[in-house]
Amino acid sequence: MAMAALRREGKRFLLSPNPAIAVRSAVLSDELTAPLGTRSISTQVVRNRMKSVKNIQKITKAMKMVAASKLRAVQVRTENSRGLWQPFTALLGDTPSVDVKKNVIVTISSDKGLCGGINSTSVKVSKALYKLTAGPEKETQYVILGEKGKVQLIRDSKASIALTITEIQKNPLNYTQVSVLADDILKNVEFDALRIVYNKFHSVVSFIPTISTILSPEAVEKESEAGGKLGDLDLYEVEGGETKSEVLQNLAEFQFSCVLFNAVLENACSELGARMSAMDSSSRNAGDMLDRLTLTYNRTRQASITTELIEIISGASALTG
Amino acid sequence: MTLKLCVLTPNRIILDSEVKEIILSTNSGQIGVLPNHAPIATAVDIGLLRIRLNDQWLGVALMGGFARIGNDEIIILGNDGEISTDINPQEAQEALEIAEATLRKAKGKRQVIEANLALRRARTRVEAVNVIS
Repeated sequence: MAMAALRREGKRFLLSPNPAIAVRSAVLSDELTAPLGTRSISTQVVRNRMKSVKNIQKITKAMKMVAASKLRAVQVRTENSRGLWQPFTALLGDTPSVDVKKNVIVTISSDKGLCGGINSTSVKVSKALYKLTAGPEKETQYVILGEKGKVQLIRDSKASIALTITEIQKNPLNYTQVSVLADDILKNVEFDALRIVYNKFHSVVSFIPTISTILSPEAVEKESEAGGKLGDLDLYEVEGGETKSEVLQNLAEFQFSCVLFNAVLENACSELGARMSAMDSSSRNAGDMLDRLTLTYNRTRQASITTELIEIISGASALTG
Repeated sequence: MTLKLCVLTPNRIILDSEVKEIILSTNSGQIGVLPNHAPIATAVDIGLLRIRLNDQWLGVALMGGFARIGNDEIIILGNDGEISTDINPQEAQEALEIAEATLRKAKGKRQVIEANLALRRARTRVEAVNVIS
């Protein structure tokens, strides 16, 4: 967005002087070589451009540092929460290729922009997953967390959106808030399998779109009959409730809120990392543009000085000669 | 023969060590786990988790969750937890009194349920501090 504003400024640059100059300058892009006999544009215009580019550079540098400091705090919490969902995978296994009737895709995106391409990748993956899980007698719905994802998905998939939640990051993320959210989703949406789409934070420069699958208790029962990791669940004596299915239901809900908590934290980390690198390249571009403008400014200044000298000298020689 | 115990909460790892025996409170009673226990997956109630390492008992106040026991490995996932040595006895006692007062003042089903939960949590913390080591 900052770069688009700079480009617009550049275009205005070309249109403000004499149209004759503009036509020629259009070919020479940003350089201003005025044909002889006409005044070149004043240095004032170039100086204004330089000031605005410098301001933009300062803003993007500040945004990068803010993102970097926030990232450090969230990263620690993300790493602590990673240990939480691993026991569930160990107990219940991970079956991303499970074939169920009702799929719900939970897309996690950010609320604020200027964070690179992570929201677009999440939305792309969600749409691909939607196509993959569609079929006769099957039903797929979206639950969207975050403003950016909502804006992109509402354009063409409005009918399949079950629930949208925005402004999750207004208060610092904590488990209680996410478990309330999870509860909300579980109450309002029917599902056999939940697929959470988010950007996993591997490092400050790498964010991989990831899908986590959580099965509903009934689906778990069906899969456990099919054998495999879930089949071993029967080896465990299940205590702590009236019936096994009640405990499994609690377990599935707990699993969902833990995995959602981790996913939201990872996405927040990725958002901050992406914003850091986007603002960094933005300030570097602003620096480059500033260099070019400085050269143009110097040339314009020297050209105007030369024109004045020529006028003075030719005036003087006209008087004497 | 030791058990490998891991106690996790969403915010941090509370405990990760080798222990001799644990006593866990589930909503169908308290169970003691020794090495070579049968595999169990169970829900954990709000209560005290007692851990024995080398004849010394340690208490962890656990606020509900799940436990999986198998192959001499115990993984407990809790909503929240605190080791007894980290709890300030004075503050825990005060919290208990505040929770009792809130329960007495609570009106309406929802407030009563919430106050009850808060009371149980506060009571667990006070119990944790009193574990004989």
